[in-house]
Amino acid sequence: MQHVPEGTLRRLIDEPFAVADRHVRHVEACLRCRHRADEIASDAATVGAWLAPPPSRALADAAPRAREAAARAGRARTLRVPAHRHWRVVWPSLGTGATVAAVGVVVAGVAAATSLTTVFAPTTVAPVPVGTSGLQPVATLLGATRTSLVGLDPGSGTRHLTYGTLSWRSLGPPEVVSSLAAANAATGLDVTLPRSLPNGVGAPSRFVAMREVTATVHFDARAGAALAGSTLALSVGPGVAVLYGATTGGATTMGIATITRPVVTSTGATAAALDQFLLGRPGLPAALALELRLGQNLSGKLPIPIPAGVDSSTVRIGAASAIVLSDAANAASAAIWEDAGGQVHLVAGLLAQQDVLDVAHQIH
Amino acid sequence: MPEPERAGVPPAAGFDDFFRTNFPVASRIAYGVLRDAQLAEDVAQEALIAAEQRFAVLVGNTQATAWVRVAASHLALNAVRARRRREDRHRRQPIDQGGEGPEELALAREQEVALRAALARLPRRSATVLVLRHSGLSYAEVAAALGVKVGHVGTMLRRAEVALRKEVERATRS
Repeated sequence: MQHVPEGTLRRLIDEPFAVADRHVRHVEACLRCRHRADEIASDAATVGAWLAPPPSRALADAAPRAREAAARAGRARTLRVPAHRHWRVVWPSLGTGATVAAVGVVVAGVAAATSLTTVFAPTTVAPVPVGTSGLQPVATLLGATRTSLVGLDPGSGTRHLTYGTLSWRSLGPPEVVSSLAAANAATGLDVTLPRSLPNGVGAPSRFVAMREVTATVHFDARAGAALAGSTLALSVGPGVAVLYGATTGGATTMGIATITRPVVTSTGATAAALDQFLLGRPGLPAALALELRLGQNLSGKLPIPIPAGVDSSTVRIGAASAIVLSDAANAASAAIWEDAGGQVHLVAGLLAQQDVLDVAHQIH
Repeated sequence: MPEPERAGVPPAAGFDDFFRTNFPVASRIAYGVLRDAQLAEDVAQEALIAAEQRFAVLVGNTQATAWVRVAASHLALNAVRARRRREDRHRRQPIDQGGEGPEELALAREQEVALRAALARLPRRSATVLVLRHSGLSYAEVAAALGVKVGHVGTMLRRAEVALRKEVERATRS
């Protein structure tokens, strides 16, 4: 059997309608070609993230200034005009409050059909009540039948969705290591642990190093004209998790995790088109739908689902705005926030809210 | 604003329009290599001005458009190789990281420098196809810029992406 050439598989990611039907049918039917396509898509997403261009709005602003500079210099061939420094690379930064939008996101609908833009790069966390349906709508959107890990197997894989194809790849499965130092070395992170622990919490019992995971969603014609042919690439991680036992031995009483924030880039699809697509999905949490309909820029907010029956509040942890969750009896609590370096932190346990906050303030 | 004229050389037709149309793409291409907005603007200007000197007519000239895109890529890759100039510029113009500490800034710059160096070590054609495609050009536009058949772009792109990953991994291990 003649398989699809790699160059064609590569073009299938970017311009699927330019690829002959016979190749598309072959890929759908051939496991080997689908696996190769997954690898190719993952590499393309990685390189795309490395070479992502800046916001197109900023470039449009720069053109008139650059043109004036060129004219003033008389258009000499070896022109080295000092450009006006109105625009510079600005990475998403945390400001005060819980509503800072990420700077590295293009929202305007002027993106060319094949330009690569960052559509999601959160700088802060935001609570999203999910009601009684919980995370099931999210799982359904990703073609999963269970919500734990949204049905993603470790390693790599592909799943066909009702609107395209989801592929994912991890640089390695989560690994239990011997120490915090080993976890930091494996992930390149610099996680620190609290010096003092709440009553009842024992020594760390497990250190886990989590590798970066990349995933791509390729939208086909069923996603609608605005999205068809475009690809979303997600990267999240790496991360480190530390689990603590109880002073009396036995079950885990507290966990601390640090993970590099997720970032999503898009080829072709604008953030506005993606918002409309999400609004059309059944079961979208009402709070999220309302913000999308109001035209709120959600690209800078990491949504934290708040199930029914869980209390949530917002507090400051250092310079960051954190979401604190607790059950009605204040017997289990969690705090989650994103720091200025793009690391998302979680402290959770069978603890009262104040105990979780005490730990969070030590490690922020 | 009237266009200044060089003695005995008429200005290329429609330079203003050509500049406005092509500057964003040329900047994007250069930025993909340089990750420095100011340098990318400078490179884009240089490429566009060079195109004006090379082509008698610019507006509607697809060859000029393609030429500018490749020129922006080549000029940017040349600038990466002039490492001392880039490092000097970073020292003069710290990138606003919105509150990140000096250690984070230094690490981010190191990673960027390593990535640019990996890109510059690739064969010129491979680096160019990567930069052109990942700056948003379609396969047809990349093919026109490089003077190849559009059916070859996928293969060139795939090979270049594998090569860049290997270069980056090799640099990371060493």
